[in-house]
Amino acid sequence: MAFGSEASVGHRGEGTAEAAGETKRRRFAFSPAYLYATPVHLLVLGIIVLPAIFVLWLSFEASSFGQSATFVGFDNYIRVLTDPYFWCSVWNTVLVVAVAVHIELLLGLGLALLFASGLPLQRVMLVVVLAPYAISEVTAVAMWRFLFDPDVGPITLMLRYTGLPTLDWTFIPSHGLVLVGLLTIWLHLPFTFIILYAARLAVPKELYEAGRTDGANAFQLFRNITLPLLAPAMLIALLFRYIFAFRLFSEVWLLTQGGPARTTEVVSVYLYQEGFRYNSFGTAAATAWMMVVISLLLATGYVWRLRKESLANAF
Amino acid sequence: MRSRRLAIGAGKMLAVAAIVVWSLFPIGFIVLSSFKPGREIFAVPPELFFEPTLEHYASLWQRWPAFFDGLVNSLIITTGATALAVMASMLAGFAYSRYRGVRFLEGSVMFLIGSRLIPPIVVTLPLFPVVNRLGLNDTHLVLILLYATFFVSLGTLLMRTFIDQVPRELDEAAVLDGARPLTILVKIILPLVAPGMLAVAVFVVVFAWNEFLFAYIFTANHAKTAPLVLSEMISSIDGVDWGVLFAASTVQLLPVLVFVVLMNRFLVAGLTAGATKG
Repeated sequence: MAFGSEASVGHRGEGTAEAAGETKRRRFAFSPAYLYATPVHLLVLGIIVLPAIFVLWLSFEASSFGQSATFVGFDNYIRVLTDPYFWCSVWNTVLVVAVAVHIELLLGLGLALLFASGLPLQRVMLVVVLAPYAISEVTAVAMWRFLFDPDVGPITLMLRYTGLPTLDWTFIPSHGLVLVGLLTIWLHLPFTFIILYAARLAVPKELYEAGRTDGANAFQLFRNITLPLLAPAMLIALLFRYIFAFRLFSEVWLLTQGGPARTTEVVSVYLYQEGFRYNSFGTAAATAWMMVVISLLLATGYVWRLRKESLANAF
Repeated sequence: MRSRRLAIGAGKMLAVAAIVVWSLFPIGFIVLSSFKPGREIFAVPPELFFEPTLEHYASLWQRWPAFFDGLVNSLIITTGATALAVMASMLAGFAYSRYRGVRFLEGSVMFLIGSRLIPPIVVTLPLFPVVNRLGLNDTHLVLILLYATFFVSLGTLLMRTFIDQVPRELDEAAVLDGARPLTILVKIILPLVAPGMLAVAVFVVVFAWNEFLFAYIFTANHAKTAPLVLSEMISSIDGVDWGVLFAASTVQLLPVLVFVVLMNRFLVAGLTAGATKG
């Protein structure tokens, strides 16, 4: 331990404080570590945690601009849960997240295995796969909107030319969601890929050699070595992507604004509409808290796993 | 055997081609099209060879001065948010790595991880009136604080991982020489964890330069960022001027794309450590 005396003051009762003859328990000693951790905790508390708690309070109040809040119990939750637009947004979110994230996982896994088996210009190709990570949702929407523009989009025109069905995302809601899903996959595949590729590289080569000498074929190697050893990384990538895809806002907002007639809204867009368009802070807050709870639920498995791991590291 | 190897080789070349098209076609398409004269943007199939022109950039300059203000704002905000996030994460990472057994500190790791789970749009609701009352609406500061905050927890955990790898013997030697903790952090640890700081920086730079939601809610004129101006071009009522939009997109995406390409090692290190460590 680098700063033995300072570090242990607050805890094990060695060092100066004990020398002064104080009792071991219920003693709070100052450690400089608190100072170093303060800026981060001030930011997270002030900008994320306290506002989130305030939202919880807000969700039990009826309030809008220039109107003082009154307690209404679970009214906001009931109003949201009985709003067909809310359920439409939930359904859309679940659909896009479930489809896009799982396709992402499959593509990411395929890419990771492909890279692990060796590719020409491997380093360059890695950067190529990473490239969309640098692109803003806004720019990505500009690109994909043009590519699929109903009148001039090159992909639309080519699809039409070859007689394939086109994506009429401007007026058919499900087509709009397909385009949103495509965009999401394009933007976030780099993340999923890197997680899985790193995990694949961590699998010891000897395992495959041993498997091969035992006469296993490629599929058996995949089934019995790659898949089980990659499972934890796949789970982490999935959970991360569930949690982050669940927040989906910009892509939908910039592509369809939730339209036509609020049919392509996702939960974030529903929240935005309630809060910032209809100034109904109560129902927006109730929606927000349902988002928080679902995110936390999605994460409990992950955090629990992490905790187990960090306890194993004595931390 | 040979034909099998050939088939695998051909399959791999095909895969490489597919990856390049998937990743780079949309980006390349925008960048190339921004240099195409007038109607050639709409030529199908797209033309690869054409006489490049800067006409779209000229009209971008003339008709969208707000875009260039937006770039300046994005630059200020990205720089500020990155500096703040890296410094704060470094300090906290130092605390978590070097001080063990300090009351509350260990439990607060879970608190940091948990804070990452709260969707950003949730905090906009209560922050919006507060920011207004404080007169911080439409300022660089509010976006700097927001962008830095949403990455300090990941940043802290990354820095802790990187600082953990610096041998403690170095600290101990310095302590014997009478160095104070902060001196040790700056003089000994900082140079050794520069890759970690870069990894944190890549995350914040990419996020702050590209972010849309917070900018949309918290800025109007003065601090409007480049992505926000781009979104106005996309949804302009009298139809999208694709040439100008492509020129603007190119200007917005090239710097950060080059940055990510140059920093790809640190991005990979950050992504892998970030996902496994929290």
